[in-house]
Amino acid sequence: MRIGAIVRIVPDLVMGIEIEESEIVPFKYVPNERDEHALEEAVVFKEKTGGNLEVVGIVDDELRDDEAMEEALALAYAKGADSLKKIVLNRRTFDRREVARAIADHFKDYDVVMVGIQSIDSFAGYLGGILSGVLGYSYVGGVVGVDYDGGLIVQKELGGGVVGKFRVKTPAILGVVSAERPITFVPLVKLRQAMKEMKVEEIEVEVPDMGGIEVVRFYEPEKPEITLLEGDVEELADKLVEVFKSLSLV
Amino acid sequence: MILVFGEEFERDVTYELVALAKRLGDYKVVVSEDFDDIDGDVIRVERLNWKVVKELHDRFKPEGVLFANAPSGMDLAPKLAGITGIPMVTNVIKLENGDRFKATSLTYGGKVLVDLEVDKPSIFVVNRGYYDPNEGRGTPKVERLDLDFEDDVELIEVVKPEEDVDISKAEVVVSVGRGIGDESNIELAKELAELLNGVVAGSRPIIDQGWLPKSRQVGRSGKTVTGKVYIALGISGATEHVEGVKAKNVIAVNTDRDAPIFRIAKVGVVADVNELLPVLIEKLREIKS
Repeated sequence: MRIGAIVRIVPDLVMGIEIEESEIVPFKYVPNERDEHALEEAVVFKEKTGGNLEVVGIVDDELRDDEAMEEALALAYAKGADSLKKIVLNRRTFDRREVARAIADHFKDYDVVMVGIQSIDSFAGYLGGILSGVLGYSYVGGVVGVDYDGGLIVQKELGGGVVGKFRVKTPAILGVVSAERPITFVPLVKLRQAMKEMKVEEIEVEVPDMGGIEVVRFYEPEKPEITLLEGDVEELADKLVEVFKSLSLV
Repeated sequence: MILVFGEEFERDVTYELVALAKRLGDYKVVVSEDFDDIDGDVIRVERLNWKVVKELHDRFKPEGVLFANAPSGMDLAPKLAGITGIPMVTNVIKLENGDRFKATSLTYGGKVLVDLEVDKPSIFVVNRGYYDPNEGRGTPKVERLDLDFEDDVELIEVVKPEEDVDISKAEVVVSVGRGIGDESNIELAKELAELLNGVVAGSRPIIDQGWLPKSRQVGRSGKTVTGKVYIALGISGATEHVEGVKAKNVIAVNTDRDAPIFRIAKVGVVADVNELLPVLIEKLREIKS
């Protein structure tokens, strides 16, 4: 069983972003949370099947040495990935069709590829689903568990807490929303050791220009009028008690 | 012509797609279940999978294809985009038709809107809650098509979660997010819920950590809360979460005064939930006693 997992980096929304009309300027990048779940599920699946796990980082050229990508790959190595690759896109694009076409040739030899169902900076496609269309692979998104009984059994969220079990033909790409277990914590010492020891094969790819989607402007959503309470905690607690009283909660 | 693919697992959102399609021009709606009150031309197929989607796309050659940002749409839309290579926009909250489509997408965890111009034909995955489902209701003209293509993905079982409490029916829901910091702090939220005669719930990261059971998840993948009050503690308010918040009054506590959760709140409190909760609980205890 050849298992692949994709990891990407995205703007850190906790650190904040600058919204300019023509672009979003992040202050810092972090590993994409849903990809972290995809990686965890891929590690679980490797444990279940005894397969070989290759983790592939996908990153724009200008961020190829960003510490968040190094961290994402080191986490993968520390968790048991057998090999690591970094695909460097020669130009930045928001269009996931372009990314999928750029990387497709490098995803032809896996039985199962796991990727986060989406990344927080996406508005033009979901990479996993599009990649499956390009490659002619099966695709299931919203994945919360993967089993193998000689064939692939995938658990997918159907909304309202309901889960569907699907039999899926391989090769398949799975858009993971949550790993079936909480993400394993990797201590800093182990992470640093992984950064020193890991070997990453770098591959540069050209991103095709497919056109068709033009960004007119980025902007912040309007803020509706609300009662915004600020101040010290004692004062805020008193005000909240009054709010609760007005709603007949106390 | 606009081609709408109804949502297989969450039926109501299909009406919202129809409401949008009516504003865009002529349309047809493809469904795999019986809907007796969709307004307009309805194509009933036996099952909806990517082969059926591709066949109907090739047959009708629509200028625009609409899917819902929901379990079925999120699988079928990107697959179609990958096969055909046509443009695809996700998290759409507004769409207008003209020489090109004008779309607005909500992205970066609900912190950014982006206006786009998109060539035809193209695919749009539309968020819930932006178009009135009642506008999609009416009298259907149903045509049955025998398009029973086998898929490479086959549903074999549906598993419903075990429920201790139905948070969707609770009048008061105290909900915790990543800002709660540590699992032990959930006890504070439970205590607050108890003092307010409510139940405790959580956002996706809390459920992912296993700190609360799946039945307590609020949002697109979990339950929609519809009661009197929803108290969001340390929840940023990502699109997937706020889609599940339909309570009459939302009170949000967050350290980030720009957090998207404040956009749906009636009362916002800028504070660290872990500093605020012990003080608030103490005051409520005093009142109760």
